[in-house]
Amino acid sequence: MYHDTEYLTPVEVTDYVTEPVVRIEHVTKDFVTGGNLFRALDDVSLEIHRGEMIAIMGPSGSGKSTLMTILGLLDVPTSGTYWLDGQDVSALNRGQQARVRNQKLGFVFQNFNLLPRLSALKNVELPLVYGRLGAREREERARQALEAVGLGARLHNRPNELSGGQKQRVAIARALVGNPAMVLADEPTGALDTRTGAEIMGLFRQLNREQGITIVVVTHDPEIGKQMDRVVGLRDGRITENILQEYYHVGVATEELELPGRDPVPVPVQVEQQG
Amino acid sequence: MFKELGLMALDSLRANKFRSLLTMLGIIIGSATLVAVLSLGNALQSQVFERFVDLGTRRIAVLPGDPQARGARDVPGYGLLSIRDYQALEQLVARHPDVFRTIVPEVSLRVQARAGNSSVTSTVVGTTKDYQLVQTVPVMYGRFLTDTDDQQTARVAVLGALVAEDLFGKENVAGAIGRTIEVNGKPLQVVGILRQLGGPFSSDQRILVPVSTARLRIAGNQDLPGRGLQMSSILLNLQSERMVERGERLVTSTLRATRNVPDGVIDDFRLNLPTQALGVLAGINGAITGFIALVAGISLVVGGIGIMNIMLVAVTERTREIGVRKALGATDGDVLSQFVLEAVAISVVGSLIGVTSAIALVALVGAAAGLGVAISWVAVGLALAFACIIGIGFGYYPARRAALLLPIEALRYE
Ligand SMILES: Nc1ncnc2c1ncn2[C@@H]1O[C@H](COP(=O)(O)OP(=O)(O)OP(=O)(O)O)[C@@H](O)[C@H]1O
Ligand SMILES: [Mg+2]
Repeated sequence: MYHDTEYLTPVEVTDYVTEPVVRIEHVTKDFVTGGNLFRALDDVSLEIHRGEMIAIMGPSGSGKSTLMTILGLLDVPTSGTYWLDGQDVSALNRGQQARVRNQKLGFVFQNFNLLPRLSALKNVELPLVYGRLGAREREERARQALEAVGLGARLHNRPNELSGGQKQRVAIARALVGNPAMVLADEPTGALDTRTGAEIMGLFRQLNREQGITIVVVTHDPEIGKQMDRVVGLRDGRITENILQEYYHVGVATEELELPGRDPVPVPVQVEQQG
Repeated sequence: MFKELGLMALDSLRANKFRSLLTMLGIIIGSATLVAVLSLGNALQSQVFERFVDLGTRRIAVLPGDPQARGARDVPGYGLLSIRDYQALEQLVARHPDVFRTIVPEVSLRVQARAGNSSVTSTVVGTTKDYQLVQTVPVMYGRFLTDTDDQQTARVAVLGALVAEDLFGKENVAGAIGRTIEVNGKPLQVVGILRQLGGPFSSDQRILVPVSTARLRIAGNQDLPGRGLQMSSILLNLQSERMVERGERLVTSTLRATRNVPDGVIDDFRLNLPTQALGVLAGINGAITGFIALVAGISLVVGGIGIMNIMLVAVTERTREIGVRKALGATDGDVLSQFVLEAVAISVVGSLIGVTSAIALVALVGAAAGLGVAISWVAVGLALAFACIIGIGFGYYPARRAALLLPIEALRYE
């Protein structure tokens, strides 16, 4: 439904050869509001592999953000298990969760969520502050991260002195600076115009291709969905689609999308035609 | 990490300068009060009190014994003091310069004094120049008695303020210097006039003359049979308040020996010790200090409540920031430390402002009043330590609320 079926041969992904970065099994999330129970995620199982760039798509209220908060250890599932980078993180205490967020995860938010009183550099340093790194190394790495997102000339500007696209670049640098196993981005282009949004997605793509960073993006935009290795569709808290598009990218559209070539993603051993 | 948190805390103070200052007010006032009061306390004690209420905290007064007292022997002239006692004590003072500073005789006589047509009944006190050290006798015009006056048995007098007014009229007091008065018919030249102090123990109604003059020119025969000049009292000035007990022992044993008081018989003289005066003084001082310390304490606690209030507001305002920090890996402890440190920064900076103003104030008051005041560094330490405790105590609850926020709820907060 999010693809141009003329060019695409969607496939349902069932298994991979390699160890996944993320494996969640039978994850359910219930919210209780005003005495009513609402099931935002209903028996969701999903694997995400190293180096993949995934879009999570689905109508509003389908549970995309809820899934992201659980992947990001910002919230705990009502039931189900979660392995991250080979570690069972379903039953960590708050301190351990904070540590995992700090060491293994990077977040990019729709509304940037930069701290307004800190310069770009200081914002990017924050994860390293909580990672107990020394001041020198922090600054060095933050500078490199900002240079990598093309903001080497804006180190000392505060967020209110930056454009939306620049802010989101700072946020991406902040997400990357700790060398996370996975970057989670919930509608990272939602607050940007189409052009700037495309630039930001291009940056994500570049980082993914060049540095092999695993990226999960929530988006409503079918055009963005098309550029992903895989699209996971959600509806009413259930996964309704899990479509690998790599054949399309590798075989047909790589040149068309002007994406640099890279190692092929892990190949599914069992492939079913979508019904 | 701690440095990072400290910088963050100071930064957030700077972000809300005016608000922070208002919040600090209680702490500023409390700290300033504490330091100012405790610093001025000593000066108040030794200067102000002694000036207005002549308590003589460093003085032992030897007074005649009471012939009516139980155990008193029935002999003529029992208990009276004479120059012999004075001389014995004079030697004692010379032997113990670490205990005693000086000794002063007091020979009191009821007299009739005249100047022109005015006449008053007054008390002449024969004494020496060191009288200034044991009694509060500030000179307003002219000079005080000197050693030379005494050696030359000079016909000079220093008048108490009221005596001078009665003899010369209120307006002419200053012009009385150099004039002659008659005391029991004997002419004396006025060389000094004292400032009026008021109170029953002041010298306002007295005429001070050299002790030799009192004896040889005014008293007629004041000698006790076989003992020389009679004295109404002998005053000893101590080096410090801590010497009261030692001084008392020395004076008692010396007097018992010169006066041949047998063992087992009560003293035939009385000692007026400053112990009671010291007690009263310490009591007054303690009460005032305690009261103001209480006010300072209340002010600090009120300041603390202000800090708690503003920190609760800050936590609410910055819920999103807390969520972001937690998403980036801040632990509950990190967030707790950040907000506690912020509260401590407010209270300690406030306390520093208060302490600094107090030091300036104390120096100013000291200079203006001519008091030798020293800053009480104990009070400074106390104020800062108290501020720290207040910051931690009242900052903890808001900081804990921040720390316990769930990351997702904090991020969703609008
Ligand atoms: N804290 C909460 N309390 C109660 N209900 C919640 C809570 N968070 C999410 N929900 C509900 O869960 C469902 C999924 O919400 P979620 O935010 O995951 O949707 P979404 O797919 O991200 O939607 P959108 O595209 O609009 O962002 C919604 O119906 C929402 O009302
Ligand atoms: Mg959402």
